Amino acid sequence: MPGARHSRFASLHDVELCSYAATGERRAFGELVRRHGSAVRGVLRRMGAQSSEADDVAQDAFLTAFERIAEFRGEGTFAAWVKKIAARLYLRRLHRDRKLGAMTAEAIEDEPEIPHGDADAAIDLEEALKVLSAVERLCVTMCFGTGLSHSEAAEALNLPLGTVKSHVKRGLEKLRTRLAPEDGVVLEGRRGNG
Amino acid sequence: MAELDFERRLERLFAEAPELPDAGFFAERVERRLDAGWTARRWLIGAAGVVGGVIGASQLMLSNVFERVETAGDSARLLSTSFTHVSAGADWVAAVSNGGTVVWVAAGLAVIMMGFVLTRVIGEI
Repeated sequence: MPGARHSRFASLHDVELCSYAATGERRAFGELVRRHGSAVRGVLRRMGAQSSEADDVAQDAFLTAFERIAEFRGEGTFAAWVKKIAARLYLRRLHRDRKLGAMTAEAIEDEPEIPHGDADAAIDLEEALKVLSAVERLCVTMCFGTGLSHSEAAEALNLPLGTVKSHVKRGLEKLRTRLAPEDGVVLEGRRGNG
Repeated sequence: MAELDFERRLERLFAEAPELPDAGFFAERVERRLDAGWTARRWLIGAAGVVGGVIGASQLMLSNVFERVETAGDSARLLSTSFTHVSAGADWVAAVSNGGTVVWVAAGLAVIMMGFVLTRVIGEI
């Protein structure tokens, strides 16, 4: 009875589900996908992937995670682990499509004027990220969304560490202008719908 | 300090998963791909087992096993004839010498075992 099995897995902790998945139990892994699919797809969209592209990469990331589930030691969260896999897969895809070079070499000129956030309104992170350049968006999301360190991000992007730090710094400044124009403004994350 | 606060807030914002309307559909697609991969893998393992068995059988055929079995059968028959003179209770030798049936059965089992072992090894990989 598939329904019964799903409900049995629904009550288990991620680590227990990973143990089941490591024995080849695909339904247990399916429960993990159900729990964390949106988070992984979301982080890819925040990195700049289109919806369909994000979904493809997220699927590949979960399949890779299933293949390598024995490597997951439960030191961090399962979601963070899959997000890192997804981020690296997305970068590989960008590199394959020769988009990564163009992004990282992108001139900083023609920067869009950053609209200041309305202090009375809750600001959507997705909207705020749009004011960042592609490479800033990648760097900020990799460091804050996937939990990669600056050096891990630099390695994955094949960029010098200092360059990544500069992109993150510049990205944060723009986000701060957008999200928290004045100190003390309460940030409220509005859940995006895609 | 304000900078650190902002970074923490940002981390919290990033930690919030967006609510996607097709989350269930996405999970089902991943499960389908997992199932499809598993089925393909099972077919691949099965096919590799059959190929392994066929290769094993062909190797047996090509190594003049027929002649060797006949020679072994003749030798066993000769041995059993001599042996029965020595010990009347040694019927098992005669059983072995009854043509190459036992040897053939053993060879067949060996081929099946080879295929099985290969299947298990690939399955473990």
